[in-house]
Formats: sequence, structure tokens, C-alpha cells
Amino acid sequence: MDMLDIRNLTIELDMPQGRVRILDRVNLQLKAGEIHSIVGESGSGKSLLAKAIIGVINPAWRVTADRLWWNGQDLLAMDAKARRFVTGRDMAMIFQDPAAYLDPNNTIEQQINEAIPSGDVTGTFLRRRIDRKTRVRQLLHRVGVRDHEKVLKSYPFELSEGIAQKVSIAIAIAHRPKLLIADEPTTAMEPSTRDQIQRLITKLAMSQDMSVLLITQDVASILPATQYLTLLYCGQLMETGKASALLQAPAHPYTQSMIDMSLQSQHELPRKSRLPTLPGAVPTLRHMPIGCRLGPRCPYAQKQCVKAPPAATREQQLFHCHYPLNEPTS
Amino acid sequence: MTSILEVKNLSKSFRGRRDWPWSPKSVALEPTSFTLAAGETLAIMGETGSGKSTLAKLVAGVDNPTSGDIYLNGQKLYDANTKQRCQNIRMIFQDSEKSLNSQRTIGQQLEEPLIFNTRQTAQERQNTVKQTLRKVGLLAEHYEFYPHMLSTGQKQRVAIARAISLEPQIIVADEALVALDPSVRAQIINLMLDLQQDMGISYIFVTHSPQIVKHIADKILILYRGKMITFEKTEHLLNKPQQPYVEQLLHEHL
Repeated sequence: MDMLDIRNLTIELDMPQGRVRILDRVNLQLKAGEIHSIVGESGSGKSLLAKAIIGVINPAWRVTADRLWWNGQDLLAMDAKARRFVTGRDMAMIFQDPAAYLDPNNTIEQQINEAIPSGDVTGTFLRRRIDRKTRVRQLLHRVGVRDHEKVLKSYPFELSEGIAQKVSIAIAIAHRPKLLIADEPTTAMEPSTRDQIQRLITKLAMSQDMSVLLITQDVASILPATQYLTLLYCGQLMETGKASALLQAPAHPYTQSMIDMSLQSQHELPRKSRLPTLPGAVPTLRHMPIGCRLGPRCPYAQKQCVKAPPAATREQQLFHCHYPLNEPTS
Repeated sequence: MTSILEVKNLSKSFRGRRDWPWSPKSVALEPTSFTLAAGETLAIMGETGSGKSTLAKLVAGVDNPTSGDIYLNGQKLYDANTKQRCQNIRMIFQDSEKSLNSQRTIGQQLEEPLIFNTRQTAQERQNTVKQTLRKVGLLAEHYEFYPHMLSTGQKQRVAIARAISLEPQIIVADEALVALDPSVRAQIINLMLDLQQDMGISYIFVTHSPQIVKHIADKILILYRGKMITFEKTEHLLNKPQQPYVEQLLHEHL
């Protein structure tokens, strides 16, 4: 059974011009232990999706869904207290700029200590203290920090961004969550640090049976071990499916151009030649195109694209496009 | 090709809060020399704290070097002669959102370098700004806009417009392409390559993305803890076995 099951999640926002859909009927299924990457440019609603899952919702948003289920429980039907309990027990989130999101006033030891659930340590006052101390060090070792004494005594501003991200991962996994949501954990990091963090997240997902929902803005920075891939554009689901199939034979023009723009396929291009790119810019909330929102920027757009395309499937992919690419010839 | 920029033994070291002769020095950049020809692109690479941003700042004149000289077209650049440096070496920063003033229009901001560095009249300045805006793929109407009315990509274009409005010879870009969306990043790279062809600008890119470097750089300079360890043409560097550190920097992410 799917651990996380989202069907037609829609988030609407009331604006002076009327109601705008900032997330338009998004589907997402996640099984235990799976790694799922969500790729989208800024303004695609990828962070919004993560916020809707963990329940950090602005009262101005209208969140509706046919289904928002966590292990068979309907998250939207719960009251705030019950939902917070489920989220706090089963989910964790890490963010883009780790040094900014750690508390600048406390040492790393205090912050990790705070994240250890009180149910984990029992016994007398002294016993609990000693247990907590060892747990903190174990957690740091698990995320690959070797000189733990030095790190534990320091404040966030003293850490390099790689170590800070490792500390924030240690805090996230302290209560053994079933789902880790990573919101652009490696953006703007240098390549060697990024590789380290990616390897760490993959290793944790495999050894702890934890699902990972990774959110990135670039196809190049998805986890190498990712099994499923979802592409969002302006709140609409473009394509989703098995990562290997999607990267090999994308059905949606947006997927194709994201792969082309990812700077990976570039050694085939002559140096200093023009890079392939989509014309124009991401539309603002006030000026969302009707139908397929990629329409005005899509190189294959035709008259029919002003109608929202229905979901179509191909072996392991699901996409929304009237004129898919790479049709199997049969 | 003759070189337009020649950097000789440029170095930078910092002292602590108390600047006594005996207080310990920390060296950010050991003496570094390189040359750059017109229309060429130099990429400066290195891990965090290797002094790559320091070198870029020294070349752009944001910071004063401890020792060493910079020659532009064979002429020595002095710290006091800021006008000459401002006209010929311009800098683009990482975060275009923060480097633009949100309270002034794009036009007013683009006029500022012209006011300080040229003797143009108000009318001429306005024309220059509008021309520059068209050159970077924006419209003349954007003159009246405020930064919040533009998208991230357009703001980056404004930052480039501010750099090229004085028709400089060299543009220094400090991590200018890191935090951009893929489509915007490709657009900006294309724009910068176009400008290089049209105006013969040389670029100095500080970046840690091997993919971008391989695509646009003619020469690569690699720093390790403030020391220059290689300065070579890109093709040479890519086609021969390397030290582990260089390998690690240039290694493609799988």
C-alpha cells in the first residue's frame, strides 16, 4: 500500500482578480523506503506541495484534495492537534540554507539534544542525561561527522555549509521519521559537498527504511538513486513516473527541455555555442495562461493547448500533454 | 593575441583586529600572476575558502591588494584612479535581487554609473540606458520599472546592463549563475556569450560548476588555499591527467 497517497491536491489563493490555482490537481504516491524527486523551477509550487504535506498551511490558502492520506489516515479530516501529532511522529524536513535555519543562539549539542524525543530516554535524572549525551554523539556519527566534540561545542555560524546541512539532517532523523522531505538541500553548494550530502541522504534512506521526498530546481541535482521523478511547472503536474524511463524517453516537452538545460548533456555541444533554453519567463500568478500553463513557452504548442490536457499514460509514465514526444513506434 | 589584463604577483593578507607588525597574518591569497586577452573568458575555480572571491574582488577594485600590480592595456592601475578602473572593469554579483535598490527605478539605477563616469547630458544618459536595456533583451519601457516588477531573470539582465553600459573591457562575475533556475541560467549564459561576441568583452567567472566552466571558459585558474596551482587553457587541462584536487573540482556530477 502507498504510504503517502495524494490525489488531485489543489491549493487556491484569493486574489483581487479572482481565485488563482497555485497548485492544480497534483497527484503523488509514495511507498515506504522510496526515493521520489520533485523537479520544478521557482514558482512551480514544489515547496507548496511539501508545505501541504507537513501541514504548514497559510490560512489564506484553500487546500482541497480528493485524497491526502498518510498510512490510510486522512490528513485533511484530522483536527490540528491530531495532525500535528502524526506529522511530528512520522515526518521531518530539511531546508536549503542550513546555517540560517539552525538556531544561532544555541550550540549544536543543545539543538540536537532538543530533537531527541523524551520517550527514548528513561530512568533516573542522571541516567537520562548520560543516555541523551550518547544519543547525540551517535546521531552525529550516523550523518558522518567525525570530530564530533568540536562540532557539538560550536554555534551554527562556525560551521561550513556541508557540516551544517549534516547537523540539520541529524536533527531531522533524531525521531526516526518515516518520511524525510528535503527542500533543495544541495542548491548553491559546491560539487564535492553536494555529492557528500546526496550520498548521505541515499544511505540513510536505504539503511533506515525511510522514504525521501527530494525537491530540487534542476534535473542535474536529483539523487542518483532516485526511483521516481515528478516535474511541476506553475503548479501543474507535467510528467511523473519511473526516473530511468523519464530521463531516457521523456513524453512531455518540458521534461525534454529540462534535461537539455541541465548542463549535463553539454559535452556534445561545441564550446561557447548557444545553449538550448525555453523562451520567455515563468508567468506571474496574476497572468497564468489558461489550459496547459507551459503553452506560451512550449516549442510544440498548438491551438489545442489552450485546453488543459487530460492525463495520459505510457508504460511507466504519466503526463499531461496533447502532443507528447518520443511516441513508441508500433 | 595581446593581453588586455596582466596581473603580477597580486596578493592579499589580513591581520586581526590589532594591526601591529608582530601580530599574526592570515594569507588569503599568495602572489598570483595571470594574463587575459580581449574576448577571452577566464574561470577561477577552487573550494570554499581558497581565495577565489578575494582574487575577483582585487581585480575589480572592491578590495585593495597587499602587494602586486594590475596592468590594463599595459598601463598600471592605481588605487586612486578609480575612474579608469570603473570604466573598464565591472562586476556582477551573485544575488541580483539584493544588488538592486528596490526604491529606485531601473532607469535611475542604470544612470548612476554614467553620472559618475561620463560627461553625458541627462538626455544622452537616458538614450544610453534605453539602448543598453535593448541590448540585454529588455524593452526601453523597463526604464520606468521598479525591481519588484521584474522576474529573477530580468533582474539578472538589469545587473548585466549596469555592467555593460560603460562599454567595459572586462566583466567580473562572482558566482553570478549559481542560484538561477535552469531555463534562466541558460538564457543568461547565451546573453553573455552574445555580448562577448558583439562587444569583445573579457569575462572573469568565479564559479564552482564544472559544467559551466567547460562550456564557456577559455582558460582556467585553480586556487587551493590561496595558492594558484594551475593556470591553463581549458582544452589542455581537460585532456591530460590531473592532480586529485583538480580532478575533484572538474569531475562531472553523475
